[in-house]
Amino acid sequence: MRFEPQEGNPLVEVYRHDVVIVGGGGAGLRAAIAAVEADPKISVAMVSKVYPMRSHTVSAEGGAAAYVPGSEDSLEKHFYDTVKGSDFLADQDCAEYFVEQATPELTLLEHWGCPWSRNDDGTVATRPFGGMTVPRTWYAADKVGFHMLHSLFQHSMRFDRIVRYDENFVTRILVDDGVCRGVVAIDIRSGVMRMFLGRAVILATGGAGKCFPFTTNGTIKTGDGMALAYRAGVGLKDMEFLQYHPTGLPGTGILITEASRGEGGYVLNSEGERFLVTRDYGVGQKAELGPRDMISRAEILEIEAGRGLQGPYGEYVLLDLRHLGEAKIMAKLPFVRELARTYIGVDPVYEPIPIRPVVHYMMGGVDTDIRGATPIPGLYAAGETACVSMNGANRLGSNSLTECLVFGARAGVEAAAYAKGSADGNEARLRSEAETEGARIDALRGRKKGGEKMSVIRHEMQVSMERGCGVYRKQESMNQTVAELAPLKGRYADLVLEDTSKVFNTEVLQALELGNMLDVAESIAIAAAARRESRGAHACRDYPKRNDAEFLHHSMMFFTPAGPRLDKKAVTITRFQPEERKY
Amino acid sequence: MADSGELRKRTFVVTRFDPDKDQVPKTQSYEVPCRPEWKVLDALNYIKDEIDPTLSHRWSCRMAVCGSCGMNVNGEPKLTCKTSLAEYGDTVEVAPLANFPIIRDLVIEMDGFMEKFKAVKPWVIVAKEKAAEEGTYRQSPAQLAAFKQFSMCINCMLCYAACPVVAKEPDFLGPAAIALGHRYNMDSRDEGAPERNEIFRGEGTVFSCSYANECSEVCPKHVDPAAAINQSKLLAVIDWATSFVVKREK
Amino acid sequence: MTRPSDPQAMTPSKPGRTRTAPPQLPDDFWTRPRMRTYLLFDATGIVYLLVGLIALRVAWALADGAPAWDALLQSFASPGYVLFHILALISAIFVGVRFFRLFPKAQPAQIGPVKPPPPAVLHALLYAAWGGITLVLLAVFGGIWP
Repeated sequence: MRFEPQEGNPLVEVYRHDVVIVGGGGAGLRAAIAAVEADPKISVAMVSKVYPMRSHTVSAEGGAAAYVPGSEDSLEKHFYDTVKGSDFLADQDCAEYFVEQATPELTLLEHWGCPWSRNDDGTVATRPFGGMTVPRTWYAADKVGFHMLHSLFQHSMRFDRIVRYDENFVTRILVDDGVCRGVVAIDIRSGVMRMFLGRAVILATGGAGKCFPFTTNGTIKTGDGMALAYRAGVGLKDMEFLQYHPTGLPGTGILITEASRGEGGYVLNSEGERFLVTRDYGVGQKAELGPRDMISRAEILEIEAGRGLQGPYGEYVLLDLRHLGEAKIMAKLPFVRELARTYIGVDPVYEPIPIRPVVHYMMGGVDTDIRGATPIPGLYAAGETACVSMNGANRLGSNSLTECLVFGARAGVEAAAYAKGSADGNEARLRSEAETEGARIDALRGRKKGGEKMSVIRHEMQVSMERGCGVYRKQESMNQTVAELAPLKGRYADLVLEDTSKVFNTEVLQALELGNMLDVAESIAIAAAARRESRGAHACRDYPKRNDAEFLHHSMMFFTPAGPRLDKKAVTITRFQPEERKY
Repeated sequence: MADSGELRKRTFVVTRFDPDKDQVPKTQSYEVPCRPEWKVLDALNYIKDEIDPTLSHRWSCRMAVCGSCGMNVNGEPKLTCKTSLAEYGDTVEVAPLANFPIIRDLVIEMDGFMEKFKAVKPWVIVAKEKAAEEGTYRQSPAQLAAFKQFSMCINCMLCYAACPVVAKEPDFLGPAAIALGHRYNMDSRDEGAPERNEIFRGEGTVFSCSYANECSEVCPKHVDPAAAINQSKLLAVIDWATSFVVKREK
Repeated sequence: MTRPSDPQAMTPSKPGRTRTAPPQLPDDFWTRPRMRTYLLFDATGIVYLLVGLIALRVAWALADGAPAWDALLQSFASPGYVLFHILALISAIFVGVRFFRLFPKAQPAQIGPVKPPPPAVLHALLYAAWGGITLVLLAVFGGIWP
């Protein structure tokens, strides 16, 4: 159980649990519930830098995919759609496991109160989604992530053995003798350092969209878990694959859900043309319901051809929902209407919405296997943080919410089983490591000396990443971004911080987050520059074709004191041999 | 589409409080060059990034769905990521959310809310849990509509900042918590209404509400917690009356 | 700019790790237009209290016989009483209208098998009931009926 910290000068407070989960979003909460249900006696610490209902899962809009029993769908079709969508880079055993577990997971969520939208007969409704041959996306109006997160969070409150440590920022994973023993964190409110000792640790901290200037992601998506695992020696897999969501608002990057296309919306250029239909962009009959990478590329090509519109935040194209009518929009897409009116001053009932591709999701992440386990015993990862890999080079819309549930549950069960059978580490050694970490943070906090400003370094990183790792990439600009990031890391070491307070110091947190983002950005850029082909979301102008002979493998980035090391890992192909990806 | 035209200088009078340095909260003024399409949050982030990095505030999604950024702007509880600066003049006062203890600057203590939230047992209570293999419950669109509105709460706590009863009666469960409990009471899959109604009649009693309706006026998600609370009063009374007639499992 | 709320407002059962500043209300919290309306609404309770005391006085006079009753009726003609009763009538209308406006959304979507009628119908029923009872009472006290 939770022990209150010891009296008498704890430089570091110690908390002991069986399983420590970092991150309280969809995957983290699902893992916590799975762990306590798997073992009635274990205690789970849920350590999140924000209160769980603030996790970025909340902003997902469109839906979660799963086979509906009795429909024209089948597990086989979902499996094939996912593998094809991944441009054949997904590990097929993981993708198959995923589709098998999808329906039970969404069903359980329904039992836990999730308000899925319904057909007239009371069964769960589905809608078409990008890259799916059959409608299999369960939805709750257009706020699925919100309802999923709140249902999970509220359900998790029943379990006293899930102990939450809200607003605790994890800064380091503790590894002793090659085994993961817990984490070190700052209590954001008081600035006190804490050590959470656990036999197993699950990372569920989401992706790192904030490495880019235009993203659907909220400010908390800074790749913390990825950076933590990376520095602990775990490889980051497939980092070059970034999903650009085709319909984000220019400027803010706010997400306009794929469901707006699933319900029949059109994407138009400046001439009012449905270019996905009239021109050949590889999406065939699916048109607006093609996979996200292809649609994003089509939009960029249209803009480059001079058929985009000009705005204060760059060029954009249009998403037209007018023909759906007010009634349908208010029934199926009310949140879309609210967002468009509030954040871009457009009412989609009467005007088309300006949109452009924005960074949305990272297919890559912490290297895990089908059980959610990393190569370090006791360390697990799930959700967007992890790369299993089931999404390969491109993720299909509505697969990731289900992914959080499926692999969150699996990691929770595996972590609980592992925790039962393992022993504690050398606490004295771990404590000393935690104290060193605490001293590092203390030295960083409010250190007035330094020549660099945080917002400048962050901005330069984002601009560089946008230029080099955009929707379309050129070898030259990718190399340039790699070259620009290394000195940025040097300048980061010279950061000046003003806030000396220990109480709720968000400046030092931003500095730690920036450090995490720089590590993640570097991994993305180096992996991207090394992949000399185009596959899925990685579209390289110098190598426009997919090259299975040389590049049908996962990229792996490893941290070494001498600098990042690039390696590769084989793809598990079981059922579907790679073929040309045409729709 | 909103145009990014002329910058306008506005003065932001922001509450500051560091418990290690300040006895009581004070204010600090900042001059911010504001773009026309900015929200209040954009100005706060500008202050933090460019003028004063020691300002602490909570925010995340910037699209009015995470609920982090609630603050009192010119005395009214607002989601700062959704509130356009165009509604204001040359001076804008930004204070932490009313009725909550203040941890630092614009950051309030949330655990009091989390306790009230958990107190209403906001989860599906059934006598017998269903297994995944048994499939989903059947729920008609009408049954979904009965509670859907009350499930839209993003826990931004603006309603607590607006409620005169919260300001005066610390035990009151408050709008969001009651609305959430009511959401489960009205969900056809849930069987926990008797338990929750007992909580509604208990210490945090729903009857403390005198229907000021302020909570519903400020709610950014149109949850209408005042409706939930007042519906709960009626249902709690009916539940109390029927408890004498119908035998209850404890 | 602000004034204190209840010092325990929204305070957790266990104190947190750091000292907090007490909860505050904006200075103009009680004087904003909507809040003024609401406070007036609740303040009409005083009017009803006084109406109740007057009712006691009426009962007392009834018990004391005809001369006391006549004296009472005469006293009701005084300007003070007339003004008070006009105030009471305005209060009742004000409260009634606000209450009726907020009434439909206080009805649960369903109680057992029973669903409430739509708001327009509810409003019509409420005003009809109010009007009807008023007419009946006027008829009774006016001696017209029964």
